Amino acid sequence: MTLTWLGRSFLYVAFAGALGGVAFQLRALRTKRPSFAIPFAVLALLGIAGAVGVMQYALITHDFALAYVAENNATFTPLLYSITGMWSALEGSLLLWSLLLAAITLGVLFYYRREKTDAVVGWAAVVLFGVGAFFSALMMFPADPFLHNPAHVLQGQGPNALLQDNPLVAAHPPLLYLGFVGFTVPFAFAIAMLITGRVHERWPLEQRRWTVLAWGALSVGIILGAWWSYQVLGWGGFWGWDPVENAALLPWLTATAYIHSVIVQDRRGLFRVWNLSLAISTFALTVLGTFFTRSGVLESVHSFSSSTLGPLLIGLFFFTVALGVGLLAWRGDALRSAVGVDQPFSREGLFVANNILFVGFAVVVLLGTVFPLLYEAVNGTQVTVGTPYFATIAAPLSVALLALMALAPLVSWRSASREVLWNRIRLVAWASLAVVALLATLGVRHLAVLVAVFFAAAAAGSALRTLWGVLVAARRRGRLLGALRAPTTGGMVVHLGIVVLAIGIVVSTSYTQRSEVTLASGQSTVVDSQFVTFKGFHVVKDPLETATQLAVEVDGHSLFPAVTTFNGRATTVGTPAIDSNLLRDVYVTFDAVGGNGTTSGAQVQNNLPAGSVVLGVTVEPLLAWLWIGGLMVGLGAGVSFLRRRHVEEPT
Amino acid sequence: MKRRTVLVTSLVVLAVVVAFSVFLGTRQPVTDATDITSPLLGQPAPNFSGTELDGAHWSLRNDLGHVVVVNFWASWCGPCVVEAPNLSTFAWQERHANVDVIGVVFNDTLSAAQGFAAHYGSLYPSILDPGGAIANRYGVVSPPTTFVINAKGRVVVTLVGPVRLSQLNAVLGRVRQ
Amino acid sequence: MKLLRSFGLWVAALVVVFGVALLASANQSSAASRAAHLESLVKCPSCEDLSVAQSNATTAVAVRHEIVADVAAGKSDNQILTSIENAYGTSILLSPPTSGLGVLLWIVPLGVVLALIVVGLRLRRRWR
Repeated sequence: MTLTWLGRSFLYVAFAGALGGVAFQLRALRTKRPSFAIPFAVLALLGIAGAVGVMQYALITHDFALAYVAENNATFTPLLYSITGMWSALEGSLLLWSLLLAAITLGVLFYYRREKTDAVVGWAAVVLFGVGAFFSALMMFPADPFLHNPAHVLQGQGPNALLQDNPLVAAHPPLLYLGFVGFTVPFAFAIAMLITGRVHERWPLEQRRWTVLAWGALSVGIILGAWWSYQVLGWGGFWGWDPVENAALLPWLTATAYIHSVIVQDRRGLFRVWNLSLAISTFALTVLGTFFTRSGVLESVHSFSSSTLGPLLIGLFFFTVALGVGLLAWRGDALRSAVGVDQPFSREGLFVANNILFVGFAVVVLLGTVFPLLYEAVNGTQVTVGTPYFATIAAPLSVALLALMALAPLVSWRSASREVLWNRIRLVAWASLAVVALLATLGVRHLAVLVAVFFAAAAAGSALRTLWGVLVAARRRGRLLGALRAPTTGGMVVHLGIVVLAIGIVVSTSYTQRSEVTLASGQSTVVDSQFVTFKGFHVVKDPLETATQLAVEVDGHSLFPAVTTFNGRATTVGTPAIDSNLLRDVYVTFDAVGGNGTTSGAQVQNNLPAGSVVLGVTVEPLLAWLWIGGLMVGLGAGVSFLRRRHVEEPT
Repeated sequence: MKRRTVLVTSLVVLAVVVAFSVFLGTRQPVTDATDITSPLLGQPAPNFSGTELDGAHWSLRNDLGHVVVVNFWASWCGPCVVEAPNLSTFAWQERHANVDVIGVVFNDTLSAAQGFAAHYGSLYPSILDPGGAIANRYGVVSPPTTFVINAKGRVVVTLVGPVRLSQLNAVLGRVRQ
Repeated sequence: MKLLRSFGLWVAALVVVFGVALLASANQSSAASRAAHLESLVKCPSCEDLSVAQSNATTAVAVRHEIVADVAAGKSDNQILTSIENAYGTSILLSPPTSGLGVLLWIVPLGVVLALIVVGLRLRRRWR
């Protein structure tokens, strides 16, 4: 009982801190009295940190007095998975979210401690405290992580099998939440600027390096999620256009539009309405995504669910959007800028197209995700909107975005001249064409692949050309390291990462070969020019799991695809094994076993001789490029963070 | 932008968002089968036995101490087709966990039932119900209807409609508490 | 003009390269690729988001066998998909219906393209 009491007390402290922060900040805004914002932020952080500490203590010591621990932990759960068990299910994940939010709130207030009487900072604090109070309230009432477990159990269930299979569970949710929570800050400041009417000030521009860091965390978080799914789910794919996956993609799309659009505001003072709207939309879509993940209204491999949370989260979503729209309508006049986009064929014009494409992409993905609900409400029957639809939409959109990546770095601001552009891009254009011609002669016939590679090569070419220019300029100045901190370096590295990612995606999805082979012990076969040998069975029994492994050799490397039963939950999952190199991934799964073998869980086939196995062998070319591209994107975001402080240009 | 355009656009967006939010807020979490209150709930499960599709004999009494999931199905029933793989997966998943799944053929012929079970890869036994006596005892109006009997022999859940695997798992969790 | 000639040369090369590639890729539809295409449109009955092409679950394998058999028997794509839909229900197809409410799913993306064009034209007009 004490842990429940202790945990809940800490949550009350956190809630009191956030609520107090809101109240005193509002009072300060009205009456110019001190707001004690930082002390309240510290209180909120201490409260949440205490609650997290209690939960971690309970998980690490396997204290089943808490129902959450009994459901997500067992005495034999290893330390790593005990710690990550905090975010394995709904209530605990809210603890992680709130911890990051409280930390970031304090960080922002500390960063602006010298401007603490400024109304914009004040209102932003109100918003940040308000959101913190909302999530704390969720944990105090409908989603209580510290629910007492009335049964005196000596053993817990252990985490969900797929969440204790792979260490990426320690990286994906924290990074993802860091991204989502990070984007609460632009949202808070957008609301603050609209309320105070001071919409021409440079707050979003000053915060750019932090916003880019949040974006980087979100991007890497999503890619790690894809990598994690790839490694554990057993079908060899990395993205299923699952509602929860889409829920994470939607805010990423508007966030990407935002970090690009802010460049134009920085340079020429334009796009204020776009940027405020994008900041508000990103947060709203984050809340909507949380709703999809936690309300259970859409079926998903990834969702946790609770039916009471749904209406509350959708309420927050609605409130956010209504507030944003209302404020934008109210301040509409003040937002008009003195200058406009001079002509469509200019860098500003291309950024407009960029915004429309990203937002359009988000709208279409959102529509596809909720369409089954809509259809069922109208027609009563169920339909599925799956990969074929999303892929058909995503393909041309992605190609258009790659084309923009190829053009924009080389197109001038204000009004571009066709001659100048052609001079800059001519080499890139010919090189891209040469690459395609080479691939076509080497036997690549898929038109979609050739088109994608063409635009990807062009985008890479522009990025490389820009980086080359930066390097040359830095060398001329004698400070080579200065190139790292130049304005466009980080962005171009990210673009290169995206190109690598895009090529990995296009090639692996177009040329994946799936086969099933039946092998007796000691037998070998060749699958898509990969030499596969089945060497025998191997049973692993430890307190955590019982696994029947197959010793398989692929091209000289040993792999152990298995079927694993995790003690505690008594669920059996397939554990794939992957042989990866730069050229291709070979993905091997243990699909079935012959006769009445004493194996734990693999489908028994009666028409196979005992001791033979059926292996699923999937060969996916260039799949590793996805993770390499993801790494480059993360690096690029990091480099962008180090960007030299921008000297204000006269507009 | 003109004041009026801004106002109109804002109102339109607001209206769309209101509709969207209300729509999503009123969706129910996914449940395919409905948990109904049948007269059998809490009562000891009516005993039954029968001949399996491959000729063996099966009796409920042999399953004492196990959780038994009784699924009434028919080869002509559409939703039964949807739920068949879920039941098979569930049966296989729980086969060492003292949970038995037994199908009861509802108002159907032997050959049609055998064909259905073979075609959809049924991983649990099904028994015939000549004259519909078992269905009558259980009050089955139409397939698919699933009853879950706990280890003490009482009917604890009645589901009408095609069951999903997550539903079965959730129900099993409740039964075991 | 030098610009026109230089650019024009490149465009001509582009047309040649992609034209040749297009012609070479035109003879693709064998029975195997037809079956593979159909398999990517049908959801694995006991999975969450996967098509029968992607999953090795028993139910998926069963549907794959059925599709291959139907393709060999000469049935049209539409017939095959309809028969599967009749057996498993409308939600078994991964691609939503294009009629009725499904039209929305194609109108909205077209709307995005339209928005691009309209905004582009309005910016141009403002410039002039």
